Amino acid sequence: MINRILRYALIFVLLLLLQLFLFNNIQFSGYVNPYVYILFILLLPVDIPAWLLLIISFFTGLIIDLLTGTPGMHTAATVLAGFARPYVLRLFSPREGYETGADPSMFVYGFKWFLLYTVFIVLLHHTLLFYLEVFRLSDFSTPSSGYC
Amino acid sequence: MRNLLNFLAGYNNIIIFLILEGIALSLLTSENNYHNTRFVKGIRGITTAIERSVSKTRSYFSLRETAEKLSAENASLRNNIEKSGEAINTVFFSVTDSVFRQKYFWSSAEVINNSVNRQKNFFTLNKGYNQNLARDMAVVSDDGVAGVIVGCSSNYSVAMSVLNTDFRLSARIRSNGYFGSLNWDGRDYSHAILSEIPQHVIANVGDTIETTGYSAVFPEGLMIGTITEIEKSGSDFYRISVLLKTDFKKLNYVNVIGNLQKTEQQELEKQFQ
Repeated sequence: MINRILRYALIFVLLLLLQLFLFNNIQFSGYVNPYVYILFILLLPVDIPAWLLLIISFFTGLIIDLLTGTPGMHTAATVLAGFARPYVLRLFSPREGYETGADPSMFVYGFKWFLLYTVFIVLLHHTLLFYLEVFRLSDFSTPSSGYC
Repeated sequence: MRNLLNFLAGYNNIIIFLILEGIALSLLTSENNYHNTRFVKGIRGITTAIERSVSKTRSYFSLRETAEKLSAENASLRNNIEKSGEAINTVFFSVTDSVFRQKYFWSSAEVINNSVNRQKNFFTLNKGYNQNLARDMAVVSDDGVAGVIVGCSSNYSVAMSVLNTDFRLSARIRSNGYFGSLNWDGRDYSHAILSEIPQHVIANVGDTIETTGYSAVFPEGLMIGTITEIEKSGSDFYRISVLLKTDFKKLNYVNVIGNLQKTEQQELEKQFQ
């Protein structure tokens, strides 16, 4: 159990560092950053309780937000991804169901399964993320800053 | 009561989801104060230290280019000084001069964190109010306008980049003096949009766009960029694409300009508004 927590903590730190210092500096065609930190939410064990998953997603997003200087955007998107994950897992569950304590891994459930699972969640996450970035919710509540 | 509790227990995950999502969205909507909260400042303090070492390494890659640019700028400054005695804007320190009243003071700073790929881009400078920087000071690169300082800590400042959809700048066409409003449409990091230029004005592709100095933030006549495309929008105004002279992808060393008479000008203007 402790071993497992340590392993996930290691994955988390690794993904965080990769995101901050490598992927945040890559811009495909000048605009698009790859966001790999969402992989952490995808890799958590299948039978993790839904409330714990939500809280983990919240703090993952919050840490990314604080470190990249974007308030709330990643938090909102990651919480949505964490919320959707149990439903997506159920949607694509194999015929004999998941084993208890299994990792949602490509090697166990096959490439096609993993691709569908990833595409679904990443699509949700990115849709909300870019929607929030472009349509700027803050414009509805506060006037945008002044003329200089 | 029991029914209510049962009801809540059945939906507890959805309730947690809604609460967390609510916190995230409230963070997003209070964005204007975001950079000033103590919590965020603390976190940024840790990361700026790391970012500083990253940017230090990165600045080595453009060392040759920076040196060339500096020597070119040196040469042009020397030309200015010999040609005319009234180069007020190139003073880098306060002087007592009975002929020219100093209006702007300049100081240099290094960009230690920068982005061009968001809708609201900010960059961080390695100086703060301990080095006499303050809010609403103009930031320019060697080539042209770069942004405006929006927040300072003791040793760092955060500036709103021209590449921020909230940024507005009063700008004019150098050849005929008509002024409009410059802002960024959130698309291409090398282009901004100049609007509010009436259609009877003659503007050509390649014309220089410069600052007006009406806002008391930027000095008059600073380079912004050149016109690349002119199209009509609506019935009365042009929508002009401006190629920004500053390359925001390699913003390294910048100058910060403070207006010494800004308060005086603004207080006077306030009386008539």
